[in-house]
Amino acid sequence: MKHSLVIGQRVLRELSKDKRLFGLSIVGPFILIYFLKIFIDSMPPYFPAARYAVPFAAFIVHFFSFILCGIVLVQERTAGTLERMFIAGFSRTAIIGGYVFGYFGLATLQATVVLGETLWLLDLDYGGTTLLLLFVTIVMLSIVSVMLGILASTFARHAGHILPFIPLVMIPSIFLSGLLIDPEQLPTWAEWIGMLLPFRYANNIIQELIGSTFEASVVYRNLLMLAGYICALLIIASRTLKEAD
Amino acid sequence: MNAISITGLVKSYGKVAALRGIDLTVPQGTIYGVVGPNGAGKTTLIKTLVGVVRPTSGTARVLELDPLNDKWALRKQIGYMPQDAALYETLSARDNITFLGRAQSVEDLDQKVSEVIAFTELVSRARDPIHTFSGGMKKRVSLACALIHQPKVLFLDEPTAAVDPQLRARSWELFRKLAQGGTTLFISTHLMDEAALCDKVTILNQGKILLVDSPRDILKRGKTRLSVTSRDQCSQAEIESTPEAIAQKLHEFGLPNDISSVEVEPSTLEEIVLEIIREEPQ
Repeated sequence: MKHSLVIGQRVLRELSKDKRLFGLSIVGPFILIYFLKIFIDSMPPYFPAARYAVPFAAFIVHFFSFILCGIVLVQERTAGTLERMFIAGFSRTAIIGGYVFGYFGLATLQATVVLGETLWLLDLDYGGTTLLLLFVTIVMLSIVSVMLGILASTFARHAGHILPFIPLVMIPSIFLSGLLIDPEQLPTWAEWIGMLLPFRYANNIIQELIGSTFEASVVYRNLLMLAGYICALLIIASRTLKEAD
Repeated sequence: MNAISITGLVKSYGKVAALRGIDLTVPQGTIYGVVGPNGAGKTTLIKTLVGVVRPTSGTARVLELDPLNDKWALRKQIGYMPQDAALYETLSARDNITFLGRAQSVEDLDQKVSEVIAFTELVSRARDPIHTFSGGMKKRVSLACALIHQPKVLFLDEPTAAVDPQLRARSWELFRKLAQGGTTLFISTHLMDEAALCDKVTILNQGKILLVDSPRDILKRGKTRLSVTSRDQCSQAEIESTPEAIAQKLHEFGLPNDISSVEVEPSTLEEIVLEIIREEPQ
């Protein structure tokens, strides 16, 4: 735990010193949400803005956390710093935990900016509990993204190798997780694939929360699914992060 | 006690054999050089000893510990300076050293960081980000990172490659100081003038040890080109690189009074090592 905090602190310090990367990871989502607002403004008045905008905001954090963590970890490997961390005495679990801590900080900031901007631009108004649960959902989703990024990085020899994982891991979430259409309208096999994607559960929570009333059991059941994803990915990532060739 | 002992170490990557049955021992407190061309297996050997490469067969012991099975006990006692600087470019030298010091839970870390910064002569640049450093300066920070927990054995992979001669000389002064303090240094290099500074040298080629000896004794294996010039003739001979052999040869010439000069040009360590590698059947 202590070592994870040390690594997390270093990741955050690096991100804060790398103003370009830090700026892009905040400014990028900020601009995308503005584009979303323009798109929604062009829709007919009865268009359900919240039904698409809030999950889309969550998807942006999901996407950016995955890409950033994957690329940075591949860079760690190619620069030799990952190997050096191992030799210096950091364990695999500490390294994964450290990355989660580090990107948790960034994801929290991203989630705040993206959610705040979405609510402000689209004039959406929710109660404190709903807002808190929306925020928790996006942050938990970002932890899953960091884990997926770590997992993808173990199969990549250089940063460019992360790119093929985008259509493999990220794009299916757009079509099969309920972001665009209700998963029940999909063919059964596609619905099953969608159920394997963590974004499906985040979207379930968001759709439940932005309704006029929400069923707490549905929210907590899906939050539990996200927590399950985090645990499963932690185990898989800690086994696939290679220490010795 | 030996700091390092290796028996029958083999490492293969598929059909490519990187190490082909290495046997060697390194006494504590020595500067041990591994010399060889690119692709000889130097880096693989070091990485096997620090526990990030799993050998295909054979055994390796560092401070009598297995680099893989006893890694937690071993990593507290070894330092590793990789071939590339392997530093966080946006962080300062001090931050990089502190980060790796925390991995080892070094006591009085701030004090130790200051000491190691002073030892590697980085005081004036300690708070600057690494991306503003020259290649040689980065190597020095990398060395400082490897020294922060005062390791008993230090593995240095091409520590002064692409470093200017002045900084290289200074680095070797530091290495010698560490060895005098009891640290064992295991250094890979392809620079022969650097190998000459080691206490003992192993010549490695295509994953095989060709020779283990002191640089002084390796130099004796070379030939000395002797040119003797008299008033009306110039004689040249290639003889053993020992004072006795030179004297004997000069006696053959009779050392007449009209000999005006005797030039002795021994083979360099680089020439000898290349000759040994050339003689090895492929």
